[in-house]
Amino acid sequence: MTTNTQNAAILEITDLSAEINGRAILKSLNLHVRAGEVHAIMGPNGAGKSTLSQVLAGRQSYAVTAGSVLFRGENLLSLPPEERARRGLFLGFQYPVEIPGVNNVYLLKAALNAKRKQAGLPEVDAFEFLGLVREKMQLMQMDESFLSRGVNEGFSGGEKKRNEILQMAVLEPVLAILDETDSGLDIDALKVVANGVTSLRRHDRAILLVTHYQRLLDYITPDYVHVLMDGKILKSGTASLAHELEARGYDWVREEAANK
Amino acid sequence: MNAELTSTQGLVPLAAVPLITCGALSHDAWRALALSRLIALGLPTSRDDAWKYSSLNLMQRRDLTPCTDFSAPAQLLSSLPERQGATFVCLNGQLIAELSSGVLPAGVRYTPLNDLFDSPIGSMRARLRADDSAEQRLRLLNAVVCTAGVAFDVSAQQAPVEPVHLVHIATHHGHYPRTLVSLQAGSRLNLIEYYLSVDDSSSVSVPVTDVELAEGAELQHTTLGLAGMNSVVYADLNVHVGKNARYVHRSLELGGLATRLDLKVHLDANGAEAHLNGLLLADKTRQIDIRTQMDHHAPNTTSSQLYRGVANDRGRGSYDGKVVVHQGAAKSDSRQSSRNLLLGPKAEIDARPQLEINADDVKCSHGATTGSIDEEVLFYLLSRGINHDTARALLIFAFTDDVIATLTDPALRREVEKRVLASLPTAALIRGFVQ
Repeated sequence: MTTNTQNAAILEITDLSAEINGRAILKSLNLHVRAGEVHAIMGPNGAGKSTLSQVLAGRQSYAVTAGSVLFRGENLLSLPPEERARRGLFLGFQYPVEIPGVNNVYLLKAALNAKRKQAGLPEVDAFEFLGLVREKMQLMQMDESFLSRGVNEGFSGGEKKRNEILQMAVLEPVLAILDETDSGLDIDALKVVANGVTSLRRHDRAILLVTHYQRLLDYITPDYVHVLMDGKILKSGTASLAHELEARGYDWVREEAANK
Repeated sequence: MNAELTSTQGLVPLAAVPLITCGALSHDAWRALALSRLIALGLPTSRDDAWKYSSLNLMQRRDLTPCTDFSAPAQLLSSLPERQGATFVCLNGQLIAELSSGVLPAGVRYTPLNDLFDSPIGSMRARLRADDSAEQRLRLLNAVVCTAGVAFDVSAQQAPVEPVHLVHIATHHGHYPRTLVSLQAGSRLNLIEYYLSVDDSSSVSVPVTDVELAEGAELQHTTLGLAGMNSVVYADLNVHVGKNARYVHRSLELGGLATRLDLKVHLDANGAEAHLNGLLLADKTRQIDIRTQMDHHAPNTTSSQLYRGVANDRGRGSYDGKVVVHQGAAKSDSRQSSRNLLLGPKAEIDARPQLEINADDVKCSHGATTGSIDEEVLFYLLSRGINHDTARALLIFAFTDDVIATLTDPALRREVEKRVLASLPTAALIRGFVQ
């Protein structure tokens, strides 16, 4: 056995079941993700895609009823959301919230410092931090005015998604879960966001793309594509599966799984 | 003085009394009329709908005698934010020259209120018409006992850029300031008022302010409630907005044991505009009540109201806001928003926006919400590694920002932010975010 980091397990989801308000959403879901991999989770509306994202990030309103999730070998489910973030898990929200009155840059700095503290590193130098943010803002083609605005305050849908990827770029997570990052984007914004994500692909980082459409995958080629339906992964394949889903829809996956 | 005035003699309405010709009204005559009306009407009780939410018993238990102690606690002034422009300091209603400083902007004239009676400057009778109100009888109380007051008259020639600061300090017992602000056609003024009391004071303040804006005038008016923890303030503000004139009010209620603000705005002529913004911070056992009435009397008039309340511990607050669009006030545009945040199981805020429309072709909207911290927003911050207490404190602070952001004076804004932060138990956690 080798200790090659490229193959290190990042996320191991085993028989995960979760519910909200007594309604079962995830039903014995299994998924393994290794460092350096990009996985796309696709599925129709209501399949449980967003639930999976939120459960992994630690949203309290979902109750995990069975199964386990290991994040780099550590029990993820026992950690509160802020601890998960500090250990390198990042969730890019489908609907990033607006928080007027809380400055974007301060939030980003506090988030980075919380992560650095966890890693035993000193707080980031204010000057260096601003340099870093400016550099990443360029990557995401974001306006300078972003620096002085409240978190997502008055941002368009596209700007909010860019901001999510900017946060990801600054926080350098081990595992990034991007929940419907492509939804509500026009083609130009989609390209900027996709380029941003692609530039963040690394051998020691894993990315989980949760998406309804194949469109995003034209710009970010995943290593694996999974179909999430009825609360579990019904089919897994390579990038070509996304095209097949785009052409044929989802129903055949369910039929195929039922005939197995 | 005793608060129990229940005799029923002298039922003549103030406005109906034949006064001396050409509108002059002597101070004594005015006071006598007010007294007869107050005796007829009596002081409000908790059975009056207008006083439903306010704790009058605090007032009934206290000594309302006007305080005549004018030895100035100068150190109180050091708690005020840094100020540019002239500062007028009134102690128990009396202007104290030694504590006042600065030069009034060109075009702004100060007159002691007493001098306006029997003087040819406008008609006091017209200006005091709001005193004769069964609903707001504390105006009458103020009229009976206030001995001094401040009047600002702004002429059109120059537009003053620097603000004028007016500081009201209560020491003990009753405190009855009276302020009159008149803006002549096309003039502008930025008036910032502060309500303070000495630390251990169990004072009762009953300030009355009248504002008149002539055609095209604009008043930016900020009131900062910073009274001590045992003080009571029942303020009354009556505003008349003329043709194409604009009134902007911001009230930041951050102090006192009980505060009530009655705000009546009359949009009297075509194109008049008024915007009311307020922040209520009811922590500890504080009670803060805001009552507004916005009267659209004329066509093409615009109003907005934005109130935010935060209640913690046993704090209580209320927003009772009424908009009346009168007949003929076509193309009126009115918005009302009251959002409130409850931080504890014993905290309470009642929001009651009301709308009465008697005209066609108007645009009116109102909304009120009262709730706790948004779980979804909290989760967003947690998911960025921010710890729970910090995230919560940040969101409370951010909630107040809607109103704080309307403050244009940077020093004032910093002071308000500082005080809002100080009221949060976890302020230290979020200082870095907001400074």
